[in-house]
Amino acid sequence: MSQFQLAAISHLTAGRSQIGTSLSFHLFFAVLGVGLPLMMLVAEGMHLRTGDPVWRALARRWSKVFAVLFAVGAASGTIISFELGLLFPRFMAYAGGIIGLPFSLEGAAFFLEAIFVGIYLYGWNRLSPRAHWLSGIPVAVSAVASAFFIVTANAWMNVPRGFQIVHGRVTHVNPLAAMFNPAWATETSHMVFGAYLATAFGIASVYAVGMLRGRRDPYHRKAISLALATAAILAPLQVGAGDLLGRTVASHQPATLAAIEGVTRTEPGAGLNIGGFPLPGHHGDVLNVKVPHLLSLLAFDRPGATVRGLDSFPKADRTPLAPYVRLAFIGMVGIGTGLVALSLWYWLRRRRGRSGPEDRPTLMAVAAAGPAAFLANELGWLVSELGRQPWTVYGVFRTSSGITTAPGLGATFTAFTLLYIGLSVLTVWSVRRIASRPLEGLPSQALAAA
Amino acid sequence: MSLPAVIAIILGVSLTFYAIFAGADFGAGILDLLAGERGSDREAIAATIGPLWEANHVWLIFSITILFSAFPAAFSALGTALLAPFTVALLAIVLRSVALGLRASPGGRERSQVLLGRVFGATSLVAAFSLGAAAGGLAQASGARVGAATAVPAIPWHGLLALVVGALAAALCAQLAACFVTLTVARLGEDRITERFRRRGLQSGACVLLLSVAAVATAGATAPALSDRLMGAALPIVIAGFAIAALSLLALARRWYAIARGATLVTAAALLWGWFVAQAPHLVGARVTIHTAAATHAALAAIAISAGIVLLLVIPAMYLLFSIFARPMLEVVE
Ligand code: HDD
Ligand code: HEM
Ligand code: HEM
Repeated sequence: MSQFQLAAISHLTAGRSQIGTSLSFHLFFAVLGVGLPLMMLVAEGMHLRTGDPVWRALARRWSKVFAVLFAVGAASGTIISFELGLLFPRFMAYAGGIIGLPFSLEGAAFFLEAIFVGIYLYGWNRLSPRAHWLSGIPVAVSAVASAFFIVTANAWMNVPRGFQIVHGRVTHVNPLAAMFNPAWATETSHMVFGAYLATAFGIASVYAVGMLRGRRDPYHRKAISLALATAAILAPLQVGAGDLLGRTVASHQPATLAAIEGVTRTEPGAGLNIGGFPLPGHHGDVLNVKVPHLLSLLAFDRPGATVRGLDSFPKADRTPLAPYVRLAFIGMVGIGTGLVALSLWYWLRRRRGRSGPEDRPTLMAVAAAGPAAFLANELGWLVSELGRQPWTVYGVFRTSSGITTAPGLGATFTAFTLLYIGLSVLTVWSVRRIASRPLEGLPSQALAAA
Repeated sequence: MSLPAVIAIILGVSLTFYAIFAGADFGAGILDLLAGERGSDREAIAATIGPLWEANHVWLIFSITILFSAFPAAFSALGTALLAPFTVALLAIVLRSVALGLRASPGGRERSQVLLGRVFGATSLVAAFSLGAAAGGLAQASGARVGAATAVPAIPWHGLLALVVGALAAALCAQLAACFVTLTVARLGEDRITERFRRRGLQSGACVLLLSVAAVATAGATAPALSDRLMGAALPIVIAGFAIAALSLLALARRWYAIARGATLVTAAALLWGWFVAQAPHLVGARVTIHTAAATHAALAAIAISAGIVLLLVIPAMYLLFSIFARPMLEVVE
């Protein structure tokens, strides 16, 4: 009996780890897949308006990188769509008919995206500059649509609506009500802003590293000023969207809220924990500053509102990973705050008449901001996915009921982990190879003009 | 016609497109493996499949999406019973696109190009074989009309029939690719290369015919229920399939390359639809049919509507893609 238990636990853990690894890997490419088309469009549009060849060189360079990322993104997405059935078949049998609509629409968006990606990538010399720019618009739109549809499916897992369970069977399905559940707006906007933000800071970061290495030419300056201007608009928007998403969690996922905010005991007029790291070996939280009544105010708009603590939920109904959820949340919010600070600093300097960052400290901060913004996206998803446990569909369907009955997940998890390590190495290698090639269509005087 | 049947047909069409296009792609890998050291053959293969390889993922993803939205219970049963062959196929599919993509980007060293080529070829073979074996096992399990009462039947994906169908799939992929390449290089006037690929087409086409006969015979011996259906409802398709497979060989022998390619495409479609008709309306095993596995009516209607939207948007976009690439290159002054 005990042996069987042990085996059952590691089976479930292997399945959860495999789908979590796959999604975290996919997310990196998904974020750039949403963000890069927009940045390419802006750069190419600047070329159309100003005729400056530097903008065109930037857009072409980014489109080459995008081609590699798109291929790996599509491959890793294919893996996930299989894995939903291979690892969590009983969940898919339960949910497939309810959230099939967003998944089908995502398929449609991808179809369009793939076609226009073909036109955009291979059409640089076949279309007029204007037509080529126009062909990038459907790419950018369908990439956002992809992300939007997928995230509505995830929002349904957090706040399930649009169906009834009668005698253990799913009935009365209303696909639109399921898709437009109460969390759709906040979760999708937080995701899409997050993708744009990470791409913009990511680009700024690449060129900041170049400038730190002494490559201070118009190519680097233009890239960095475009990326930073975009990022500085988005960072405050992203924090605002995060606040709204937090309210959604507060009203619909009380156990998740308690884990996110580190609330152990139920409190009326709960304070907001700032810091409060749940470190192993410490009783209570480390470095906590508690701002009275602020959590109740933020979550429920009333300073006296009661916030349920983790203790008030049966052990079987609260996430066993609460400390990790809290750590991930602190990480995301910390990074978000840092990015807003950096954006404010940037606007302040712009108003004082300086165009882009030139000094080492600012460049170093920008160089760090890119990886940090990507990390914030990954952490945010850990908050969402780990914070929802032990449920796959909050309050309705447990993760342990969804896992496959087929044996061998230890082996598949190992195989896919090795695959991802290999894919990461190859992706880095081929992007570096693109970066080391000379720029096309750019006379060298433009670079020397610095 | 009932809504589940309409969606099952859409699913069948999407799978057919995947089988044809991805089949030609897998076949390109198999031919690449057979080309050995001959660089000219490699280039001919690369020139034929060119930049469009990415588009094939679309059909696979589209099929999977329809399957799990419209027939969630079938997706669930397949994922459980076919965990092993699907995992192998998935790893192979991903590795092969990566190897192909990296090999295509210029500037690599000779040694790494050769290694990437080998990976591309081997994974293509593995992908075609394991998907074929999964299909063969599924056909065997789903032909039976009475069977285990469990919702997740055992699928004999390593049985004799599965192995034969796996080999058949690989041979058919090779023939598809050989026909595509032959037609392309013949138009370029490369006679020696054309001749080599014509021979590959004849060899693989002969294998396709032999293995099809073997598959029908194995079904007769090991899966009588499936065999009855193949010789019953599906008989017209089976007969047409054999006739067209023979025509493809004849066309290759006579150097009618366009006809050979068309006939091979139709052979592939006939093979799939013969299988679909033989097990319809069953999806997986004796209990999971398009009716028992179907999602609710509202969900199916939503999927049918979104499939309609896909067609409305995608057909003009496809047309645009092909018309742009049919056009000669524009001279751009930098
Ligand atoms: C650049 C990335 C980024 C940044 C700076 C932030 N977030 Fe975030 N956050 C995400 C990227 C992200 C994400 C990866 O996009 C998530 C995962 C699920 C989702 O929809 O968005 C997310 C999830 C997420 C959740 C969990 C929702 C759930 O359980 O489903 C909350 C409550 C917040 N965020 C709140 C915030 C707040 C208050 C921030 C203010 C500083 C913040 N986020 C900054
Ligand atoms: C791309 C960003 C995402 C990341 C990084 C991510 C991460 C994870 C992680 C770490 C787990 C394992 C959780 C655990 O069991 O402890 C998980 C589970 C899961 N995720 Fe996500 N997720 C993402 C997006 C999504 C989306 C958009 C969906 C659905 C549309 C989804 C569906 C699932 C399912 C079905 C499981 C398995 C059941 C469960 O553990 O709840 N995920 N994900
Ligand atoms: C927050 C989570 C996710 C986001 C934002 C997202 C977004 C994207 C984007 C933008 C692409 C295009 C690839 C590229 O441009 O590089 C993509 C690819 C793909 N994703 Fe995801 N995805 C997410 C999670 C998932 C999940 C849970 C699945 C599982 C069903 C999935 C399945 C796919 C598939 C099949 C592809 C290839 C086809 C396509 O581009 O749509 N994705 N995803």
